[in-house]
Amino acid sequence: MRAPSPLALGLVALACVPLTQLRFTLVAAQEQDQEHTTVGGYGEVQYHNLSGAGTPGQANLARFVVYLAHTFNQRISFSSELEVEDARIEGGEPGGEVSVEQAYLDYMLSPAATIRAGLVLAPIGIINETHEPTTFNGVDRPQFDHDIIPSTWRDIGLGVVGNLPGSSGLNYRVYLLNGLVASGFSADEGIREGRQEGHEASFANPSLTGRLEWARPGLRIGGSFWYGGSAAQDPALGTGTFDNAVALVSADARYDVGPFMFRGVVANVSIADADAINAAYGGQVASRIAGGYLEGAYNVLSKLAPASTQRLDAFIRHERYNTQAGVPAGVVRDDALARRITTFGLTYKPVYNVVFKGDYQLRRSRAAVGQDEQLALGVGYQF
Amino acid sequence: MSSSPWGWDISSRLSSLAVLGTTGALLAALGLATPAASQSAPSDKLARSIARVYGDGAQVDTVRVDTATVYRISRGGALLGFAQVRNSKGKDQPITYLVAIDSASALKDVDILVYREPRGGEVAYDSWRKQFRGKTTGAPLQVGKDIKNISGATISSNSVTRGVKQTLAELTAWRAAGKLK
Repeated sequence: MRAPSPLALGLVALACVPLTQLRFTLVAAQEQDQEHTTVGGYGEVQYHNLSGAGTPGQANLARFVVYLAHTFNQRISFSSELEVEDARIEGGEPGGEVSVEQAYLDYMLSPAATIRAGLVLAPIGIINETHEPTTFNGVDRPQFDHDIIPSTWRDIGLGVVGNLPGSSGLNYRVYLLNGLVASGFSADEGIREGRQEGHEASFANPSLTGRLEWARPGLRIGGSFWYGGSAAQDPALGTGTFDNAVALVSADARYDVGPFMFRGVVANVSIADADAINAAYGGQVASRIAGGYLEGAYNVLSKLAPASTQRLDAFIRHERYNTQAGVPAGVVRDDALARRITTFGLTYKPVYNVVFKGDYQLRRSRAAVGQDEQLALGVGYQF
Repeated sequence: MSSSPWGWDISSRLSSLAVLGTTGALLAALGLATPAASQSAPSDKLARSIARVYGDGAQVDTVRVDTATVYRISRGGALLGFAQVRNSKGKDQPITYLVAIDSASALKDVDILVYREPRGGEVAYDSWRKQFRGKTTGAPLQVGKDIKNISGATISSNSVTRGVKQTLAELTAWRAAGKLK
């Protein structure tokens, strides 16, 4: 074989120059993928004052949260969220909680599939997965996201998350998690206290939960479900995996257009055999829990100070839900549980991850008793 | 209700196992169906990204401006533009992206090279990135004004937009000062 001419070699070398330079100067991008640890966090301080005599205002460091994340390599990473509620915990005093809200490992196979295992957030609704104070209007999270979707709903298990290949903007999450425990269900808070939150959780009722979400600039639409038993092998309820099944379906939308922002969520929870649960634990648990909310906001600075990079959103939210939308035989509906909550106020963001909030809440029910109003002020941050 | 000699109900265990087994099989199938080389090295990603933005066969030269690295893109001696790789912090991971301008210092494209957060990856979608095309330093380049927010990915939207605005300003200033030719 004839040796290549020096000219040809020179041309090849020249052609290679840009590529070698590319490789050589990419250190900055590659450094980001070396093993490293990152720290972040969020927090919120709140002030509440209920209407009426004998209800002095109350200030609280509601949440102080630290994120700790570690990247092992391009494919494997760890994420966590450690939360202190109400500033401190004292023996014998109410309030206060330290909890790990998330702690999971991700193994990325491809953009279409990342395997996730650990303590994860149930992918339901808007607030449960995205609950930083800078992401929602109002000092408090919507009450719907307390009584209907029991945020912050997290449990232990494994699943897959990713983008649907070939789709534009469709992504999914599917998890198999430890299930709910029916002994915690109640008339006024629904399935909330049935969560195990990864606290030596029973895996007697593995439950399936998932979400399909479609996003494009300005718009995000999602649908979520949860299905699983709640008997926890209590002989009074049954020992099957899907005994006393809880089925939740939910849909949500977020739409940002110019200075306007809208969001809404609806959810329906069916509890099979609610009568058996009540017979076993003496509660007034509903067979159906349902409701939703709608919220609109307008950035008034878009008119007052068009050049400003800050935001001042005036918002109003109306929540309507009933933790006894359907009751089994033997349960008398409590109209005080058919709640209608209207909240309006201001959200001021000097930068996008710092927020000052003020709102006023009208809390009503179909029973027209126990109605009250509340003023709330708060600050929040995220970094 | 039947009780097995082990003190637990065997049919319940079997159904639990069935659920776990199905999930495991699903995961395995997904794993096998995924090409092993889908995560390529950033340098290949950058080369592909530049080719996608400026067309195949463009010549890429590396220029140092102060401490920064800028890619000068040309074809047959004619200048096509300049590009830079930047990182901005998302919720807790950096987002690595390419900012590309044309020969008139207008944004040609923004390309997300590596997105590492568990959620918010929609900034990589063309429907969001195309909002930047054609913008110059005269544009506000601000989320909520000329750039639409991605609901649920507010941090990523803001962080990348601010990074692009800064990069565009620097590239334009370097060209005006004669540091980039």
